[in-house]
Amino acid sequence: MNYLKMDLWQVREALKTGKITSVELTKLCFKRIKETSNLNTLISTCEEFALASAKAVDEARASGQKLGALAGIPIVIKDNINLTGTKTTCASKFLANFVSPYTATCAQKLVDAGAVIIGKANMDEFAMGSSNENSAFGVVRNPVNTDYVPGGSSGGSASSVASGQCFGALGTDTGGSIREPASFCGIVGLKPTYGRVSRYGVVAFASSLDQVGNLTRSVRDSAIMLGVIAGKDEHDMTSSSNAIPDYEKAITGSVKGLKIGIAKQFFNDKLNSEVRSSLDKAIQTYVDNGATKVEVDLPSLDTALAVYYILSSAEAASNLARFDGVKYGVQSKKFKDLVDLYFKSRTEGFGKEVKRRIMLGNYVLSSGYYDAFYRKAKRVQKVIRQEFEKAFEKCDIIVCPTTANPAFKIGEKSNDHLAMYLTDIFTVPINIAGLPALSMPCGKNSEGLPIGMQLIAPHWKETTLFNAGDFLEKALKEGK
Amino acid sequence: MPKIDINEAKKLAKLSRLEFNEAELANFVKEFDKTLEYMDTIQKVNTSNIDLHEKTINAKTQLRKDEVKNSFAQKDIIANAPQSEDGAFAVPITVEEGE
Amino acid sequence: MYKTVIGLEVHSELNTETKCFCSCKNHFGGEPNTHCCPVCTGMPGALPMLNQKAVEYAIKMGLAVGCKINKYSVFERKNYFYPDLPKAYQISQLEYPLCVGGGVEIEVEGKKKYIRLNRIHLEEDAGKLIHSNSGTLIDYNRGGVPLIEMVSEPDMSSPEEAVAFLQKLRSILLYLGISEAKMQEGNLRCDVNVSLHKEGEPLGTRSEMKNLNSFRAVTRAIKYEVLRQAEELNAGRKIVQETRRWDDNAGKSYSMRTKEDSQDYRYFPDPDILPIEVEQEYIDKIASTLPKLAGERAKQYVEKMGLTEKDAELLTQDRKIADYFETVVKSFNQPKFICNWILGEVFKKLNSLENDDAEIEINPENMAKLLKLYHSETIGQGTARQLLDELWGTDKNPEIIVKERGLAQVNDTAGLETILKKIMADNPKAVEELKAGNQKMMAFFVGQSMKATNGKANPKLVNEIVQKLIKL
Repeated sequence: MNYLKMDLWQVREALKTGKITSVELTKLCFKRIKETSNLNTLISTCEEFALASAKAVDEARASGQKLGALAGIPIVIKDNINLTGTKTTCASKFLANFVSPYTATCAQKLVDAGAVIIGKANMDEFAMGSSNENSAFGVVRNPVNTDYVPGGSSGGSASSVASGQCFGALGTDTGGSIREPASFCGIVGLKPTYGRVSRYGVVAFASSLDQVGNLTRSVRDSAIMLGVIAGKDEHDMTSSSNAIPDYEKAITGSVKGLKIGIAKQFFNDKLNSEVRSSLDKAIQTYVDNGATKVEVDLPSLDTALAVYYILSSAEAASNLARFDGVKYGVQSKKFKDLVDLYFKSRTEGFGKEVKRRIMLGNYVLSSGYYDAFYRKAKRVQKVIRQEFEKAFEKCDIIVCPTTANPAFKIGEKSNDHLAMYLTDIFTVPINIAGLPALSMPCGKNSEGLPIGMQLIAPHWKETTLFNAGDFLEKALKEGK
Repeated sequence: MPKIDINEAKKLAKLSRLEFNEAELANFVKEFDKTLEYMDTIQKVNTSNIDLHEKTINAKTQLRKDEVKNSFAQKDIIANAPQSEDGAFAVPITVEEGE
Repeated sequence: MYKTVIGLEVHSELNTETKCFCSCKNHFGGEPNTHCCPVCTGMPGALPMLNQKAVEYAIKMGLAVGCKINKYSVFERKNYFYPDLPKAYQISQLEYPLCVGGGVEIEVEGKKKYIRLNRIHLEEDAGKLIHSNSGTLIDYNRGGVPLIEMVSEPDMSSPEEAVAFLQKLRSILLYLGISEAKMQEGNLRCDVNVSLHKEGEPLGTRSEMKNLNSFRAVTRAIKYEVLRQAEELNAGRKIVQETRRWDDNAGKSYSMRTKEDSQDYRYFPDPDILPIEVEQEYIDKIASTLPKLAGERAKQYVEKMGLTEKDAELLTQDRKIADYFETVVKSFNQPKFICNWILGEVFKKLNSLENDDAEIEINPENMAKLLKLYHSETIGQGTARQLLDELWGTDKNPEIIVKERGLAQVNDTAGLETILKKIMADNPKAVEELKAGNQKMMAFFVGQSMKATNGKANPKLVNEIVQKLIKL
């Protein structure tokens, strides 16, 4: 019985029925982590803490106590999420020794649901990147083919789930950082509606775009995890008090009457032919089972990436200014005055991509450029959002590829930052509009690399994503 | 089309509190020009009907009640400080009050 | 030759229970970093939670000074690096402040003038920097405390007007009960903008002055700056737009930075704080809780207590004084008498302390007792003054002191008559002068009777008795 290949919901059953204990399961995960250490998925592990949590769950289960939705299940969280007592490095030299003095709300919810947190996942530094090659703790590898990138910035989370080191992982998604790595590694990645999950305790990159989400091996797992982490948090003014549906129950097994929006802007000639045929097949499967296709138009889609880089860099420049070497983090030893202290500490602590984005961010915010760039980008953001809202008047979900191409080789794009940015071209518009989206595997290319399909729903309609996603997942398995 | 020169780049670096050597700065300027050109494409979108200050998220303003909750212990606040003295953060330079 | 133009930016700490963006206690003092949390120390991942009371207090102040309350208001980030600023940005307001417009009336040397306000907005305070032997220490206890910034239009033209404006704002803050408003403790701060121009010419370049910690400093700084700028202009030089730091000990200001070097704050709306939208209902509710401001109280004093308008105005300028006055009147219903005492002796005492934040340091009950003794002529003016000094800052009961030390006036008519008969017998010349109409001689007899009674003779009684005796 290879427990590590099971979905979360399956191992949950196994735990419930006593086939395996949480401690045994946790030990299996740590063994797997050691066996696959070449993937470099985790920056730190918390073996002692994990085994203690696992033991506590086993004891509670044995004494008949009521247990949470994730009781005893080993989970990984991205290393930009604070968890008291663990290092939260954001894969940056700057925070290499930063120990969390508090726990993020989303992590606390996992703990309260009985999850066994086993480690902090590697990532692109401060969540800036699409390949997990920007980490101060080394590159992460794609378990499908270790010459390839796992995607980013939640590369460690994706690789960990895909390689069977854990049963689910938390990641963050600002421009595709959950969905793109999920697509590259052949797993499911969910970015919820902006405001669905609290951001308190999650190190901010772009405050108006960041959202915590999950990476799992199945759609149903994703629904289970979202049910645990969603909810209004008084610590986060941007979190919503919108009602939380029962996400698992949203999976009905039928897509009859589902209206699928197809936007030509997603299916242009730049699209890889294998990706296109994979998507076409998936969409056809839906149609064969009672769904209908609808043409929708998103005319400003191609400006979303530019809007994204302007807004996210601006917010990042401001959010990362607190890293000054005074309260925590790197403090340079060779400074001559206060101003110099800031310069030296930050220059020593930050990687190249982070520095680039901070400079870009300060440029678009500086007087003289603020109106032409930041303000204008905010306006275009509204246009994009309105276009999506209009499209959703005609359909229930929009389907498109997660990325135009599957994973690329490590080192292939690291010298061309614009080419790197372009990998996010299909994921970024969703963050701009604040919509929920799910990426799921829908095939493989001729080299065996996974191809990801993205399902996009209107605000607060993650239920539609889970239902449609689960249906296709089953259909693909059964070869329908 | 906005362009950036070495002097502007130096100003930006100062604003960002980042140090670059001459070579890095020159490279930055080159890359930046490409990025700026790309970002400038947003100008083509017609936004004349957009009111930025309209409600975007349908959430009623929810403010926090003015009730004291326990603060963190002093030791936890300064636990990650590179330098501290008697419970305060320390910088080994004299700094005047007010910026 | 030059006209002076002055504008003020006044910051006041609000006395809410908690800080502006977190639930840490809003507390003055304490060991460093003991009223802190991830939010007010700018830890990675922390997010702001706006304090409802802080918004309410800001709106309250706005209503009290006739501002328009913006129903849609935005918080923005003011980005700059400084060790007392943990997030490297201050959450403040720029384009859509909570309150706009408004103004207050001031009076200087009998002339009334209306000073307009530009805006009032809410923002957070920075931490405190403490000099140490090895450098600088930083305490974030004060970091995150809510502040309102009240910006005036450049309507003032003299240091007296500036101080009057500042005092008026302070008075209102105290009346509303939203701030301790103590300049010396730093919960009321003032930056001054000064420029000079010739009549008929456009406004001159202004300079900004910071670090003014008392009304006196404000006056001195403005006077210095006017002289400095006049000197520069007379010498044909241009005024540099800059920020200057006032050194009260040296009586001078020093340039802090010029605008070329100036900070680009890169303001943008804080994405962690949604725009604040308030309904008219909410504003009306706050308006209904506004306490009677100075003007209304003064009216009540005139109508119900028979005080003069002038006296009522003076009494109500400072809410703490007005409150005190009313409490004393509750114990001893002689409002005119008490009013005169406060405006006279008590104000004299307060002014002698040279502290803008000085308060009356005798509890109202003891003050009432003191005044009862004085009013009933149990003690005379001299003794009353003496006791005011002695009781200041203590809990002592004047009735007990008077009894123990036998300070009561001699009001024994018969006894006094005997004493005076003797004095008059010993001083026939003085008696003649008095009979001839020289009223000045009365002082002589009062003085002599004081001597004979160890200062306890009741001067009024002495007066009466002497008048009676000379008629005999």
